[in-house]
Amino acid sequence: MFTVMAMPNNFQHVTVIEGQPCLFISQGNIMSADTKIAELLTELHQLIKQTQEERSRSEHNLLNIQKTHERMQTENKTSPYYRTKLRGLYTTAKADAEAECSILRHALDKIAEIKSLLEERRIAARMAGTYSDNDPPRKTMRRGVLMTLLQQSAMTLPLWIGKPGDSPPPLCGAMPASSDYVAKQGDKVAARVKAVDGDEQWILAEVVSYSHSTNKYEVDDIDEEGKERHTLSRRRIIPLPQWKANPETDPEALFSKDQLVLALYPQTTCFYRALIHTPPHRPQDDYSVLFEDTSYADGYSPPLNVAQRYVVACKENKKK
Amino acid sequence: MSDPATQALQPRLHQAQPGAGTAGANAATVGSGSGNSDPVRPGLSQQQRASQKKAQVRAFPRAKKLEKLGVFSACKASDTCKCNGWKNPHPPTATRSMDLQQQAASLSETCRSCGHALADHVSHLENVSEEEINRLLGMVVDVENLFMSVHKEEDTDTKQVYFYLFKLLRKCILQMSQPIVEGSLGSPPFEKPNIEQGVLNFVQYKFSHLAPKERQTMFELSKMFLLCLNYWKLETPTQFRQRSQKDDGTAYKVDYTRWLCYCHVPQSNDSLPRYETTQVFGRSLLKSIFTVTRRQLLEKFRVEKDKLLPEKRTLILTHFPKFLSMLEEEIYGENSPIWEADFTMPASEGGQLGHQTVISPAAVSGSPSFSKAVNSGSSTGGLGMEIGVPEPIAGEKRKLPEALTLEDAKRIRVMGDIPMELVNEVMMTITDPAAMLGPETSLLSANAARDETARLEERRGIIEFHVIGNSLSQKSNKKILMWLVGLQNVFSHQLPRMPKEYITRLVFDPYHKTLALIKDGRVIGGICFRMFPTQGFTEIVFCAVTSNEQVKGYGTHLMNHLKEYHIKHNILYFLTYADEYAIGYFKKQGFSKDIKVTKSRYLGYIKDYEGATLMECELNPRIPYTELSHIIKRQKEIIKKLIERKQSQIRKVYPGLTCFKEGVRQIPVESIPGIRETGWKPSAKEKVKELKDPDLLYNMLKNLLSVVNLRSGRTILTHPDAWPFMEPVKKSEAPDYYEIIRFPIDLKTMTERLKNRYYVTKKLFIADLQRVITNCREYNPPDSEYCKCANTLEKFFYFKLKEGGLIEK
Repeated sequence: MFTVMAMPNNFQHVTVIEGQPCLFISQGNIMSADTKIAELLTELHQLIKQTQEERSRSEHNLLNIQKTHERMQTENKTSPYYRTKLRGLYTTAKADAEAECSILRHALDKIAEIKSLLEERRIAARMAGTYSDNDPPRKTMRRGVLMTLLQQSAMTLPLWIGKPGDSPPPLCGAMPASSDYVAKQGDKVAARVKAVDGDEQWILAEVVSYSHSTNKYEVDDIDEEGKERHTLSRRRIIPLPQWKANPETDPEALFSKDQLVLALYPQTTCFYRALIHTPPHRPQDDYSVLFEDTSYADGYSPPLNVAQRYVVACKENKKK
Repeated sequence: MSDPATQALQPRLHQAQPGAGTAGANAATVGSGSGNSDPVRPGLSQQQRASQKKAQVRAFPRAKKLEKLGVFSACKASDTCKCNGWKNPHPPTATRSMDLQQQAASLSETCRSCGHALADHVSHLENVSEEEINRLLGMVVDVENLFMSVHKEEDTDTKQVYFYLFKLLRKCILQMSQPIVEGSLGSPPFEKPNIEQGVLNFVQYKFSHLAPKERQTMFELSKMFLLCLNYWKLETPTQFRQRSQKDDGTAYKVDYTRWLCYCHVPQSNDSLPRYETTQVFGRSLLKSIFTVTRRQLLEKFRVEKDKLLPEKRTLILTHFPKFLSMLEEEIYGENSPIWEADFTMPASEGGQLGHQTVISPAAVSGSPSFSKAVNSGSSTGGLGMEIGVPEPIAGEKRKLPEALTLEDAKRIRVMGDIPMELVNEVMMTITDPAAMLGPETSLLSANAARDETARLEERRGIIEFHVIGNSLSQKSNKKILMWLVGLQNVFSHQLPRMPKEYITRLVFDPYHKTLALIKDGRVIGGICFRMFPTQGFTEIVFCAVTSNEQVKGYGTHLMNHLKEYHIKHNILYFLTYADEYAIGYFKKQGFSKDIKVTKSRYLGYIKDYEGATLMECELNPRIPYTELSHIIKRQKEIIKKLIERKQSQIRKVYPGLTCFKEGVRQIPVESIPGIRETGWKPSAKEKVKELKDPDLLYNMLKNLLSVVNLRSGRTILTHPDAWPFMEPVKKSEAPDYYEIIRFPIDLKTMTERLKNRYYVTKKLFIADLQRVITNCREYNPPDSEYCKCANTLEKFFYFKLKEGGLIEK
């Protein structure tokens, strides 16, 4: 069996050379991905256990610090002995905290790795479904289920946790992608497409490929009812955030009140212009936004909640 | 009693409380514990204080006891003395007139009022037993408490009743008699069936189809509800009148007085005989108090949710709102069966959940016994001891079966049906979360039912459904009006092509009602409808869910609720004009363009829209629509499991049937190879019928085969195409016939077999007839004369069999 981790590109390549149905290869990858995920989960489990151990250890030290402080208070003056002792204790405590922190980060990395494997597998399965003629036609998902999946994906979007002094990277919350950024296959984006009636519309789409020669993306409408593939230039694509910004630590990475944004209208797969009503207060909170809606007297909808994942900057400021 | 849940569940006892009974004091009754001194268990404090005081008084020396009784005893010094109670000549200085620590007055002490000695007042008690003295003393304590209550109470009706009871007890002390409330109140029970019975019937009626675990949940909720009612403080007649303008409250006042005298006051006043509210009152009282009590109960649980045990919390917060809504429909519904005196679920005797009778012996074993269930209920809710819920049949020896489902009960158990143990076992695996894998229950699978989320949300109380409407004759509740405005907004926003004025007119029209979907107190959707009871249908007028709450299954759940509402009101047809965007929705909800209601019934009644399609939905009153997808899912799971089991037991592969390809139209089911090994058995119904009357079958078959009579017309034997099959095939005519045809048969042989009573079942007869045809087709080429005969004859005898009712049409 193939041991290569299938990158989507060479994946297609292999298919052509071998003349085998793609499904065969993808199954092999799915298998290896499965074992890999199982391994990662075991490692994650161990890391969580380690965290607990680390915590119990530092607990002891923290208690010591507290006791020392109490004792110092009773003595009413800070003797050099205590000073040295405290310094030592604090140094240990700091080291402990750093150790715990690094384990936690390690665990987060594992989670990210698992997620990316799952994502790869999903893309592979999707490709297999798309390219195999033998497969029965793909059943379209019920819209309600699709909506739930979109909500889930917004909920499980990782929170960016920087080290002290770090500033939030591009694609964290409201931070824009760098100008030369190219969205990967499978990434979700807001894509500006021409609808049947000629109107321009921002839809939620998934990247299929990017051609460096033409600088164009190929994207699929997320709404499987559409099953449309669009070829669009770079400027018609806005990548969605890849991390949630933490309002408590990185409020600058969030859109602020009254800022004009594109937000996914609840229970749909379309982005519309909206004003930020209130930014989130806690990491798991949603934005509250006011959609431009002429059917309301003041031109805006009542406040509606939209997750960080589905709020992006609105490029053009002029109204169509 | 240390269970914190018990505390939270125990609604606080009423304490005569300032403010109650004054205008607009509706809310004052919620958890009315303001005057209580015991913060931990305010509910019992008054009762406890009373019994403490009684114990204290009863422990007095006799002299002191006599003094205490003397206060309430008439002077017997002379016939002319009218003094009815000894008054202490040295009234204590403190305002507390009943200082228990005081020294006993001597018997010679004279009365402040009549001047006779204390001895003259208590002379009748000289030879009275200590027991009787203590009983009288108990009444004395109660009289004193009542006196305080009369003093403190501000509601006039309540005050009156307290005063009446005060006088009654005083009289009883004087006469040393038993207190009996007299007058026009009547004596308990006041109505039958009582509330408890009704609520238990309700649980039976509505939830007996659920899995044992969920049914148990509902049962616990009902117990909790009953317990709450027994300790709930009713609103005063004044409050009642203010709330319900249409009712003058006379009937309620009588019930309220009864409740005070027989249920409420006796809780803290044990000289009076005590009855449980839920046992002596029935539907009429519940009707008067339910809306308010429900609101208060939910509010109370909401406020005190942190005090509840976690498992209780989910039970209450998840299931209670739905439970109450469903109960509400039964309380106010016109045709609810739960209040019928002879309500019995077919599966049970006496309609008691605790008294199931055994219908099928298979149902007994392996199922959790109900006595256990009741016990667990009592440990959590403090039941059983306080309220007179009938205990399950005593003894652990007799295992009680779990309630059978409605369907089971209606149907005679099919012979050879899957044993109940097996079904239970399967149910255990599919309901056991450990056995059913799946990482996230919040993530609904792609094949989850459309209304699954909505159903869960309703159960958790996130969404609510209410049927509301405007009224011109009475002032509508403010909340209802707000919701109607909300509905009007949702409809006009979601249906932009409808003029706003038109929507407003219909939503506020008193003949139209709307099923409103409420989330966080706001309207997010609804179905506006108009019922035409005389025409036997309902028109769906508007139907919408606000855009940001769409594709969550709310529309489906709304329609299912509407269906159930209509089944309750005996209207079984929906008609609607659907526009092009709505047709898809209505199709998913079981509507079709095929209209069964005759035109005359709806023409001129229903609003006609141009360019819209008339659609109809027929309701089946036996379907619990809101639970339907859930039930079907369960059934599928069960069948899947059963198939898996069977497959693990039997591993055998038969080649598929080829006879249908060869032109056979029908074969007896039992002739399918391997079918009996799967456990299939001919249905018991037919067997019973046939065994019952072999002569009948014989005569029918005889008629069919040979006897010519006017009524049945031609028979098989006289059919013009029957000639090739009249006699056995002669070897001389077809030498290889018997090599090819293994089971030869002909009509003559069949006649003989019939005479010999060989055909004990119609199946045997039909199988032989069929073989006549298949043999013919097997031996002869398809376009031969013989096969043509066989074809016509086959048609003919299936027609005859159908006509004779021997096979399904």
